[in-house]
Amino acid sequence: MIRYLRMFRMFALSELQFELEYRLNFIFVLLEMVLVVGTSVGAVLIMFAHTTNLNGWTLPQMLVLIGVFYLIQGGNALLFEPSFQRLMEHVRLGTLDYHLLKPVNTQFIVSVRHMRVVRIPDVLLGFIVMGVGLAQLGARVGPLDALLFALALLCGLALVYSLLLVLVTLSFWFVRVENLLTIFWAFTDAGRFPVDLYPGWLRFTLSTVVPIGIAVTAPSQAIASKIGPVEVALLAAGTVVAFTVASAFWRLGLRNYTGASA
Amino acid sequence: MNDPVVRVRDLRKVYRVNERQTGFGATVTSLFRRKFKEVPAVGGITFDIAPGEIVGFLGPNGAGKTTTLKMLSGLLYPTSGEAIVNGDIPWRRRDEFLKTITLLMGNRSQLVWDIPAADSFLVLKEIYTIPDAQYGATLDELTALLELEPLLHKPVRGLSLGERMKVEFAAGLLHSPRIAFLDEPTLGLDVSMQARIRAFVAEYNRRSGATILLTSHYMDDVVALCRRVIVIHHGVLLYDGALADLAERMAPYKRISVTLTTASSARDLSSYGEVASRDEYHATLHVPRREAPERTARLVRELGDGLADISVEDPPIEEVIDKVFTSERPLEAVPA
Amino acid sequence: MIRIYRQLFTAQFQAAAQYRIQFLLWMLFSVIRPTIFMAAWVAVAAAQGGSVGGYSVADFAGYYIVMTLVGHLTAAWNSFEFEFEIRQGRLSPKLLRPLHPLHYAIVENQVFKFSTLPPLAIVLAILALTFQVHFATEWWHVVLFVPAIVLAWALSFMLGWVVATAAFWLQRVQTVNTLLQRTSFIFAGQIAPIALMPAALQAICYALPFYYILGVPTEILRGGVSFERAVALIVGQAIWLGVCWAAFLVAWRRGLRQFSAVGA
Repeated sequence: MIRYLRMFRMFALSELQFELEYRLNFIFVLLEMVLVVGTSVGAVLIMFAHTTNLNGWTLPQMLVLIGVFYLIQGGNALLFEPSFQRLMEHVRLGTLDYHLLKPVNTQFIVSVRHMRVVRIPDVLLGFIVMGVGLAQLGARVGPLDALLFALALLCGLALVYSLLLVLVTLSFWFVRVENLLTIFWAFTDAGRFPVDLYPGWLRFTLSTVVPIGIAVTAPSQAIASKIGPVEVALLAAGTVVAFTVASAFWRLGLRNYTGASA
Repeated sequence: MNDPVVRVRDLRKVYRVNERQTGFGATVTSLFRRKFKEVPAVGGITFDIAPGEIVGFLGPNGAGKTTTLKMLSGLLYPTSGEAIVNGDIPWRRRDEFLKTITLLMGNRSQLVWDIPAADSFLVLKEIYTIPDAQYGATLDELTALLELEPLLHKPVRGLSLGERMKVEFAAGLLHSPRIAFLDEPTLGLDVSMQARIRAFVAEYNRRSGATILLTSHYMDDVVALCRRVIVIHHGVLLYDGALADLAERMAPYKRISVTLTTASSARDLSSYGEVASRDEYHATLHVPRREAPERTARLVRELGDGLADISVEDPPIEEVIDKVFTSERPLEAVPA
Repeated sequence: MIRIYRQLFTAQFQAAAQYRIQFLLWMLFSVIRPTIFMAAWVAVAAAQGGSVGGYSVADFAGYYIVMTLVGHLTAAWNSFEFEFEIRQGRLSPKLLRPLHPLHYAIVENQVFKFSTLPPLAIVLAILALTFQVHFATEWWHVVLFVPAIVLAWALSFMLGWVVATAAFWLQRVQTVNTLLQRTSFIFAGQIAPIALMPAALQAICYALPFYYILGVPTEILRGGVSFERAVALIVGQAIWLGVCWAAFLVAWRRGLRQFSAVGA
């Protein structure tokens, strides 16, 4: 375990070194994220200038939700997405072989080998917005809510990770998996509002096939005491199942790649 | 012979290729009803390799060389047969096993393009859990042998093909593997860089005692490095034995090249041997191996002053190999 | 010129047939984005007893569905490729041809839209039925929509190219472009109809070009805009188009000089 943490640290350091060569880019990305997050917050502020309640969500609760959205999206863009993009490239070019020959769990290495360190501000901004929302919620956040929130957040990240893993695993069989990922990103965008706001088809998609809706909404609901331990436990169970299924599918893909199943 | 580090018994690999049609509809259909075509890549080969050997793996494109290397390094599951490499079954891909091998592919890079090799090396150090002291020593040695000093801190994308290959070698050998599989390591390199890589491989083998299994298109690589060669073609083992014997068995003739002082057109040389080529002042004759000394003596005696130069040599290895591939007849293995 | 265009169109239509999947993905994107905000505003209106600032639930639905259509018709992505072409050295051969690179971009842009319009229209029609949209459109709104949409497209197109010409000098125009897109998202009327925004924000919207690309044609086609206001907005579009056109001419001429001086 410690070995894996050390590796993870080295992956991060090596990527950081690379990004430091493009410091100007860093500033641009930061500016862009401030704009993006600012737009999201601005939109919500405009809406709440006309109402005090959005389908049962108050303004502080909405801010928490937006914060969680950028936390999850940023965490994802920081940790998994760059590695997965390289993974698909490796499968296409045949360089995945080198990863397979490393004396390390292959799923670990293909999931976090590359990080996009410039995405750290996304996560930070997410934290800030969430913090502002929490501060406004004030004393109403108990320790149990906080715990459930943390757990739900972890589940949210793991859910999105599991789905991404399944999608990139498909690249063992299909060439054009990028398109599927694009669909995924299109739906991800919808995570910035509570999933219960949407018309049926979209709500269904966001809660099942593309679980970004659940991933973002559930932690926010936990902190707002809209859901309790039972729901979070269910979410955790669902996440474990999703993660297990995704890992199994990955191993199946790998076996197909190495000809073990033939 | 010591206990072999590589032990291969009747190893076979048949690829099942999905015959896929283009178009979305066909893709969907093929998810449920697949048509497979069986393509044999390696058809049951058997050999042993002793520790410290450098063995050349020869064969034309599609012969099954790379497939075999991939099975021996654990990347591919065989369809049937056995292989033991460093005392382990490769395709179980246990961490302990993977730490003892390396695979270098001349046409595929394992380094990250955007960062300097030195940074990639540090990542590899963590992956292979190389202790600090050993890492320092190995890196120093490889840096000296490969003259890496000026290359380590430049982003890999800025290196020339040859420079990159040197760095790839270092990356693959950092964890001091006991066996190295080299798949076309000199592919695309210019002649002098090929020679340097070759010298490095020979020196590395001498110093570390690592076993090396090498495939190459360039016969020079094989001639310079390998005393033993394994020839496969269409997945079948055609020859396994000393490189020198390969020439003897496959080409039971020698080449006599003569240079004449007067135009040769007047002379009939066919009585000395089969005339392979000739122009005004030069001729190349093929003569049976055993009769070569006698024929040479006769040429010198009978041509007298008409002879400016004469040399006797084995036919070039390319010609021999070519002959093996066109005959497609398995030869008896000569024990190495 | 017309004959040249006809040839270019034919060639582009043949090329476009290969990108069916990209078409579908593009459509998904252009439908989901507005749907998100529509859903949010519908919720706001519902919470306020069915109407906010003069917009009813059906009005919001109508606004965002029309905006999706307008967004599709005015989209201009061609300048994105410009930086790439410069770096790959593909611009030089195009400059050698006796036709300004702009024309290729125009044709490519139009072909994409024509080929994707029918499926998009069907999707939008279904959405419109599901949400029981309400339009306050008079016949003259439709008439005014024609110049409004043409000007909006031209403006969007030229704005993209002004940014693209920066590639003559800058390395990372892509980033500038992204920033522009993000800014546009706030001020074009996508997050909310302009009438619902605070006064300060409204003033910025009127001062920037983005509202004239998306918001103006949307409001005109949706109806509920007085004739005078519609005409004033169209004049605003024309002014911005003139500014962008002039800026492009200057930047292009200077850029080419720079480009041929440095060589590529």
